[in-house]
Amino acid sequence: MIGFIGLSHLGIVYGTATAAKGFDMLGFDPDSDLCEALAAGRLPVAEPGLDALSATHRARLHFTADPARLAACQVVFFSRDVPTDSENRSDLGPLRQLIALAAPHLAPDAVVVILCQVPPGFTRALIDEYPSLASRLYYQVETLIFGAAVERALRPERYMIGCADPAAPLPPAYKQWLDAFACPLLPMRYESAELAKIAINCYLVSSVSTTNTLAEICEHTGADWSEIAPALRLDRRIGPHAYLTPGLGIAGGNLERDLVTVRTLSAQHGTESGTVSAWQLNSRYRRDWALRKIHALVFSQNPEARLAIWGLAYKQDTHSTKNSQSLALIESLACAPLSAYDPQVRLAGGAIANLRQAPSALEACHNADALVVMTPWKQFTSIAPAEIKAALRGHIVIDPLRTLDPAACKAAGLTVHQLGAAAN
Amino acid sequence: MKPQRVVILGASGFIACALARTLAAGQIEHRAIGAAEIDLLKPESLAQLQSAVREGDALVICSGLTPDKGRDVATLMKNLTMAQHLAAFLETAKCAHVLYISSDAVYDGREIPIRETSPRQATDLYSLMHIAREQIVSVATAGTRMPLCIFCPCAVYGAGDTHHSYGPNRYFRSALTERKITVFGQGEETRDHVYIDDLTRLLTLCLLHRSAGTLNAVSGNAVTFHDVAERIAKLCGDDVRLECLPRSGPITHRHFDVTERIKAFPTFAPTPLGRGLAETHRRLTSQR
Repeated sequence: MIGFIGLSHLGIVYGTATAAKGFDMLGFDPDSDLCEALAAGRLPVAEPGLDALSATHRARLHFTADPARLAACQVVFFSRDVPTDSENRSDLGPLRQLIALAAPHLAPDAVVVILCQVPPGFTRALIDEYPSLASRLYYQVETLIFGAAVERALRPERYMIGCADPAAPLPPAYKQWLDAFACPLLPMRYESAELAKIAINCYLVSSVSTTNTLAEICEHTGADWSEIAPALRLDRRIGPHAYLTPGLGIAGGNLERDLVTVRTLSAQHGTESGTVSAWQLNSRYRRDWALRKIHALVFSQNPEARLAIWGLAYKQDTHSTKNSQSLALIESLACAPLSAYDPQVRLAGGAIANLRQAPSALEACHNADALVVMTPWKQFTSIAPAEIKAALRGHIVIDPLRTLDPAACKAAGLTVHQLGAAAN
Repeated sequence: MKPQRVVILGASGFIACALARTLAAGQIEHRAIGAAEIDLLKPESLAQLQSAVREGDALVICSGLTPDKGRDVATLMKNLTMAQHLAAFLETAKCAHVLYISSDAVYDGREIPIRETSPRQATDLYSLMHIAREQIVSVATAGTRMPLCIFCPCAVYGAGDTHHSYGPNRYFRSALTERKITVFGQGEETRDHVYIDDLTRLLTLCLLHRSAGTLNAVSGNAVTFHDVAERIAKLCGDDVRLECLPRSGPITHRHFDVTERIKAFPTFAPTPLGRGLAETHRRLTSQR
């Protein structure tokens, strides 16, 4: 039996993937209502493929709020997502509480794996607090992506495992679980694994920030970033999977958290982290690209303009609005009448006084002077630009993430403003 | 919410005069005080301020010796002396709101675009003066309950300018009097210019909202000096010629990020440069 302690997005996805690989999975959470819902197949998180995977392997999925049942597990993962505050600082309190709650009930030889997003030093410090874990405690880097978490969990590129002694063999029960995923295993010391997680995110942010910086120059110089990116992908040093799509800064919470962690570590140890500060500054600046465009293109001509907003989630294929650029934009448009549509996010009625949530994307456009596409949901691409033009009162579309085809929009009489290129 | 009354220090200045007109048009009670009435260089200015400024007044501090009055240490010290006396007043004042008119000179321009959180870095004694005065006023008001707004305009243009600084104001003067406009190099540098009417509208918005913090009063649209010169030449007549003189320093550019202004005052839209210059031309030529 494999245990997952903490049933947030992380635990639910990994737990389901574990069952899919043929293991019996026991998910523990102190929230008995949550456990009941999960047992009934009502998942509180939305991920492509997750519902179907969970239904298929329901027989191996067990949920409980009784910590005593954890004694049956040979391997337990602490899998509660670590929350962050408004400054993107981790709050490790809930994780520590969970560990304190569960630890006394674990089998004395159970392998314990910290899967949560923790700063360097956390895992080793646990041994001081829980000496009985000394020979069986591991840290495993999670690399889930919202909107692609099931794929990432079922087919990981590699497992990075933090160990007290990287040279020592892994415990058989844990190795058996790891081998089920058929990917390279990279044992390393605890701190390396904890920092590897952060390093991955820093490299992603560096790629995103460089892309955004150069894409902005494209917008002013007549270059088109979409013509440049393929050339970069063919450079072996950059690679075909590099993050080269211009965006509105970083969002979602995890990337921002890791940048804050790096700056905190840097301040503590006196290392130079100006680059990280620059990434954060660039992200904050990019976040308001759409707001600046709306004022320059729409409100400067018509201060009473009505806007349609497509997308509320922080990215497509998720219900998460953590650090959503769309909601940040909406907050800055408190004086303007807004209609919004999102395939998954449902705001509480009246949550935003000047915003009406429309039942469909085109209905949101009705009588709007301009359209702003803030989340690149695939379904938006199937809406004909001619229909958009017919629904709108105006012709301006602010589409930072290139959800719509600029040529088709131009043909339909729409003027599209997208990141990385001058307006069509 | 309208302030009870606005007291403007530095009455004879370009911004102060324009603000007084805007407040009058908005029927906001105000009183402009100049050096002839209260000389901030003198220690007795403290008692005079305490007598002139009532509890609940909004105070707009425009007073200062601008670069055309001197860029030397003596001018710096005079400006700091004014700040010293102002600080003594502010420490015990009961104003509803304090606005200090600073300058975009406080930013050295290495960070582009410039924003309210850009580091302050003195590049000459004038910028040092404003940086120091911002700090002095901040410290003086820190222990009070008076909200403080640091207002940083970029180059201000419009009829009524008293400084003749390089840019639209000097270009207009020379175009109308000498039928020529002199630019350094080819006028490649990009700069933001804010129309005086926009500046006073923004100041009024700050007063109405009792805004606190720093706000850069800029248009958000930086253009080259050459572009400005060409537009003004065209407005002033076909016989106005552009004269290019050798530049004395490297080309620099200054652009501003107006996101904070947009968020603070979403209904404010700056006057397009072309329209602002045309209005300035109209006002200047109607005065002749």
